[in-house]
Amino acid sequence: MILAAAADVIPFGPWAMVFIALYLLSMVLIGWLGMRARQENTLRDHFIGGSGVGFFVLLLTLFATQYSGNTILGFSGKAYRIGFAWLTCVHFMTAIIVTYLLFAPKLFKLAKQHAFVTPTDYLQHRFNHRGLNLLATLIMVASLSNFFLAQLTAMGRAVEGLTTLHPETAFAWGVVILAAIMLVYETMGGFRAVAWTDVIQGGVLALGFAVLLVLIFKEYGSMEETTRRLLQSAPEKVRPPKGIELRNWISYIFLLGVGAALYPQAIQRIYAARSAATLRKSMAVMAFMPLGTALIAVLVGVTAAAHLSSELQGASTDAVLGVMLRHVQEQSLFGHAVVVVVFAAVLGAIMSTADSALLSISSMVTKDLYAGFVNPTMEQGALTRLGKWISTVFMVTLAALAVWLNNSGTKLTLVELLEMKFDMLLQLAPAFMIAIHWKGMRSGPVFAGMLVGLVFALSFFWVPAQGGGFMTALKTSGFHPGLYALLLNIVIGVAGSWIENARRSST
Amino acid sequence: MTDPGRNYLSWKIWAVYAALFGISIPWYWPVEDARTLGGFPLWVVVSILGSAAISVFTAWLFLRCWPADEEDEAA
Repeated sequence: MILAAAADVIPFGPWAMVFIALYLLSMVLIGWLGMRARQENTLRDHFIGGSGVGFFVLLLTLFATQYSGNTILGFSGKAYRIGFAWLTCVHFMTAIIVTYLLFAPKLFKLAKQHAFVTPTDYLQHRFNHRGLNLLATLIMVASLSNFFLAQLTAMGRAVEGLTTLHPETAFAWGVVILAAIMLVYETMGGFRAVAWTDVIQGGVLALGFAVLLVLIFKEYGSMEETTRRLLQSAPEKVRPPKGIELRNWISYIFLLGVGAALYPQAIQRIYAARSAATLRKSMAVMAFMPLGTALIAVLVGVTAAAHLSSELQGASTDAVLGVMLRHVQEQSLFGHAVVVVVFAAVLGAIMSTADSALLSISSMVTKDLYAGFVNPTMEQGALTRLGKWISTVFMVTLAALAVWLNNSGTKLTLVELLEMKFDMLLQLAPAFMIAIHWKGMRSGPVFAGMLVGLVFALSFFWVPAQGGGFMTALKTSGFHPGLYALLLNIVIGVAGSWIENARRSST
Repeated sequence: MTDPGRNYLSWKIWAVYAALFGISIPWYWPVEDARTLGGFPLWVVVSILGSAAISVFTAWLFLRCWPADEEDEAA
């Protein structure tokens, strides 16, 4: 879901542009401060922030990283399309934190004991299986590359309507300028810069959601009015989900609850907690965040469905928020200011997610792929420098791809395939969530389960959505392919380990 | 604060989650139900309250029941 919201707002004036420019420059300043705070020239210092961060920074970096621009614009667009039934987003965002109960305490302890930098460090420690390391790293890098590309595209979309430039030109400039700012502060300050900028970005994001909540009720009246209108014009958007919609609800809760908990940048934030107390307090607060964010996005969407459906006919439904903001902008100078704050929140949400993804990609390519398979003897300082170059190469390549895809309107099969990122990430679950507790889980069966699960999940991409056949029936069941693949993955991993253990004990 | 007698794999914890998610997911509501409460459809109110209960339970588990053997000395 890529944002088209900005296309509808009135271009920003000079003061608004100055505000946005200062906001962005403050990120560069923080990157410089992060560089000055560097304690040693090591991978752990650059990618995890050395001894870690305290409660306030950890909470806001978890928040800003987990909630992207999609949470505001994509979620409100989806709620506009399907109504209150999109309330499932509140549940799956909560389920992510619930999932951490399964592995975060033990993973945190191991990370501190063994100075983990990447998720693969845990796999190496637990299994010492090079094939598993390679497969898991490739799954994570591929998933994050897609996620990063989506964030770059979102940046371009977010600035398209803010200037008087041609949309394609504004898109390209938006991607280039914002990507360059992220690259500068991230290269200078590494994890500290990313986490500290997340404090500002997370703060502005929270402010943006609060402003949105006030806007809904101030501009469009009470929820009674919204629900009454919807019952008359589109009653299906008020009704509880049934049948395939309901199965979709449950599927989303498992897919995103488990899949997003396995995002490498999220796992690295577990490593980066200064203490267990810091981590558990941050997680406790994060458990409430969906009620103050995803729920507000749903309310924005259903309010738009009740009040603005005639204006949005034929338009991209991700433009819901843009249309609402234009109404606000037209009313007063204060309305203009409110829109600037909301767009700062959108930019903050996108950039904070993108910079974390980029740093995570860079850490895995540097440590797990290059140092793990190509040059294991390279010293830490040189690896850190290499990591910064890898960030640059990824940034330039994916920014160019985002601009090219936008200009050409092309859909690449590879990009579409990578949109199954949660189906892919889900296949890491047995290695992290079962094996961390069960010492009898063996590397060979875990590797086989992950590989078969991945291939099975991705094979659904080519399964036709219509017609007969077992695979088509699974694809159209309402449950995501990754969940079926995970079941297969678990069966292979657990049964294989039992068999291997039984064979070892009998010999 | 931690509780050495508990860990997050206890079946009781996951039974509570199953019950709370069972209440939050609106599988048991008739499609034609148009009752509202506070301006929201009634099923939405129940689902949001269920989600809030899941948040409270999760926060309580993190704050009060963190497994003692995972607590680091620096905390």
